[in-house]
Amino acid sequence: MRVALLEAHGLHKRFGDHVVLEDISLAFPAGRLSGIMGPNGAGKTTCFNVLTGGVRPDRGRVVFDGEDITGFPPHAVARRGLARSFQLMNLFDEYSALENVLLAAPAVRARSFDMLRDLRRDADAQDRAATVLGRVGLRGKERVPAGRLSYGDRRALEIGLAVAAEPRMLFLDEPTSGLGGEGTARLAELVQELRRVLTIVVIEHDMAFLFRLADRISVIHWGQVIAEGTPDALRADPWLARSGLGAAV
Amino acid sequence: MDLLITLGPHLLNGVALGLLFALVALGFMLIIGVMEVINLAHGSLFALGAYVAVALVTPEGGLRLAALATYFAFPLPARFVVALVVAPIVVGGVGMVLEVCLRRTYGRDPLYGLLLTFGAALVLEELIRLVWGPTERFLPVPAAITGGITLGGLVYSVYRFFASAFAVGMIVLLWLFLQRTRYGALIKAGAHDSEMVRALGVNLTRLRLLVFALGTALAAVAGIVMAPIWGVRPHVGVDAVVPAFVVIVLGGVGSFWGAVIAGLLVGMVVGITGAFATAWSLVSMYVLLILVVTVRGRGLLGKKSVLER
Amino acid sequence: MRIGALARGMMGWLSPAMLVAFALFGTLPLWIEAVGLYRYLGIEILIWCIFALGFNLLLGYTGLPSFGHGAYFGIGAYALGLTQFHLAASLWVGLLAATLAAAVMGGGVALFISHRRGIYFALMTIAFGQMFFFIASKWTSVTGGEDGLLDIRRLPAHVGFAAFDLTGNLAMSYFTFATFAVVTVLLWRLVHSPFGKVLRAIKQNETRMAYLGYRVFAYKWASFTLSCAVAGLAGGLFAMAQHGAYVQVMNLQWSGVVVLMTLVGGGLVSFWGPVVGTVLYFVARDLLGMYTESWLLWFGLMFMLVVMFKPEGVAGIWQAAAARAGARRRARAVALQPAGGK
Repeated sequence: MRVALLEAHGLHKRFGDHVVLEDISLAFPAGRLSGIMGPNGAGKTTCFNVLTGGVRPDRGRVVFDGEDITGFPPHAVARRGLARSFQLMNLFDEYSALENVLLAAPAVRARSFDMLRDLRRDADAQDRAATVLGRVGLRGKERVPAGRLSYGDRRALEIGLAVAAEPRMLFLDEPTSGLGGEGTARLAELVQELRRVLTIVVIEHDMAFLFRLADRISVIHWGQVIAEGTPDALRADPWLARSGLGAAV
Repeated sequence: MDLLITLGPHLLNGVALGLLFALVALGFMLIIGVMEVINLAHGSLFALGAYVAVALVTPEGGLRLAALATYFAFPLPARFVVALVVAPIVVGGVGMVLEVCLRRTYGRDPLYGLLLTFGAALVLEELIRLVWGPTERFLPVPAAITGGITLGGLVYSVYRFFASAFAVGMIVLLWLFLQRTRYGALIKAGAHDSEMVRALGVNLTRLRLLVFALGTALAAVAGIVMAPIWGVRPHVGVDAVVPAFVVIVLGGVGSFWGAVIAGLLVGMVVGITGAFATAWSLVSMYVLLILVVTVRGRGLLGKKSVLER
Repeated sequence: MRIGALARGMMGWLSPAMLVAFALFGTLPLWIEAVGLYRYLGIEILIWCIFALGFNLLLGYTGLPSFGHGAYFGIGAYALGLTQFHLAASLWVGLLAATLAAAVMGGGVALFISHRRGIYFALMTIAFGQMFFFIASKWTSVTGGEDGLLDIRRLPAHVGFAAFDLTGNLAMSYFTFATFAVVTVLLWRLVHSPFGKVLRAIKQNETRMAYLGYRVFAYKWASFTLSCAVAGLAGGLFAMAQHGAYVQVMNLQWSGVVVLMTLVGGGLVSFWGPVVGTVLYFVARDLLGMYTESWLLWFGLMFMLVVMFKPEGVAGIWQAAAARAGARRRARAVALQPAGGK
């Protein structure tokens, strides 16, 4: 077993009297693509938010590359090289696709208190941003405002933002949601390419998508991890098959 | 202990002030809760309530119609009661007109609602100046609730007792309305989620109209009760509505009892500072606000709310 | 080549609209009386333009509504007067003090409110603004209370080799214009810098910015503080123009007026919105004021209509018209193209 890049130990989270996460422990090995699945309301998204800094757990620890990052605010987590995409698209609608990606680049962020210069003159940053757009299939749409892109293109840009952050680890929250068959196929290609250089975690509804790509999958239900293993092992898990969660596979 | 006793009348002033602030704040909060609009015209409606009351109580108060001579022959207490009932209704009507104007801003940045009501505040204040002039007016009070009573060697104002009791009555009525009626339940639900109100198949348009009328009528009631204490000037509303903002932030947005407690707290602090340094009495509440908000970001009883988006 | 590079460098700092504005405002003293207005009005307009431009950094670019900005304008005015009386009788020291005092106070307030947004933010700015207003009106020994700080002088502007006397309204006009020009150029540069881009991004989507590693609090803090500094500078100029610092500019209504100017002009969609709105406000005040005492009533009604029907303001109307004209031109160009191009 490889060293885990991100580990969660015994996460608990409740909202009011509703327990959302109950003693969740997860480990995401470096260089692998891990999947998280589970029915709606199982606590997947809250789990994601706890891991990426949006929500502070009531108990438990999150360790990224040996550093305890539990309860860090999102910007601090992001600065350590952990990027995420969002299920509900979260773009800068008035900005062009290129500007969206530019903002995500760490090199641009490093100079973001510069009040005098102009980003348009920074050829290097522009080139890098254009490359990212090319990678996610948005070549030729650099100047289109994000708010006017098609649904599929917005999904691609959503991932482009996370990629442009040059992360060490990438979290994708329901990346296929709302995409048709062709869009999903394109996305799968992109993820295949990204996994060669990045550690990736994907939350997904689309079981076929997840089972095809993931090295290992954790199944979350009722705020707990109820099964874990390779796609093959999970397919063979009789309990999971009976519970109906594996039915889609 | 002696000090505490001499503070008595100041505390009474503080309680009366605080309860009236809470009343203004609650009306304001109903509106925030259901339509996420900060009604900057709330202060002007507070003032309008006082002016309409002046017009209904005194013959020279703006209504110079000869036909009303018989009305003004009624005794003062009767006219005072009429004012307490009719003026809030009139102001509630103005509030409804404002809500109709606001409809164009729903679904857009909440900033626009804020700006529209700021414009309305300007308009209302100028209208008041136009009708009643810039000079200060006074609202006469029935003899039964004027004067002072002596308790433990100190003089307490009877009117402050009346104002406190009246405000408590209104707060309790409002609480019962929110707890016991269908509309009250909807308003409370809407305070968390207007999607849900819609899902319940309720006429959201009518609910908003009602809430605006209710909220602004509460401002008017507070304005009338406050009038004999503060006097009536065109911009008296600012003096009431800004403490109401403070009360809301202090108590926690969306919390009924938070607003009441914060209102009392603000009133007491203002009252007590008033005893020692009159000039600084109104500054003290901001110091209180800053202290509390530094320690508790969401105020005393605040929950995460729609306003933080 | 070098001239080309220089021209390109200049273009990052200037724009055609800016040159037009400078030409108009720079020559204001020459023609303002000819159109039936008066010279002092020009000074007032320019000062409020500075105030509104700085305010729009916060409202239009960062998306943060402050309803207490009059406080920082007022702090600038008092700071200019107080340094003049007690510290040093120098124009530059006074204006610097005005700017810094407002920045320090604003920066302090921003520490309390920069983690908030939207309506909550607005409420907090009102509370802090009112606090400053009450302090200024009650701290009579320092601010003169309700009477204000009187007899503030317009000290001469020393610029190394020469000194300009600003006591006359003509000289004051040109000095105000020069300040306006400097502030405009700097703000224009700022909103087009990486920092400005980040502010606009925060306005569009604060959450995402945090997940991209931006410490949103710091940018909001900086934006608030900078806009307060500009407000303070404008307030300092106002104290000079009025020969005094008065508490009225700090009240809620005046704080609202700057919001109103910024919005009516179209600050949400254009850099120049606040300037357009300010001019409109003062011209409306003087023209409507000739006919009616309650001109604010009509202006308030106009403002309500703008918010209801055209919240992007004058600049928004202009941009929509320009876009339509552009579309028509393009349509005509397409129609004129020979067929069979594909």
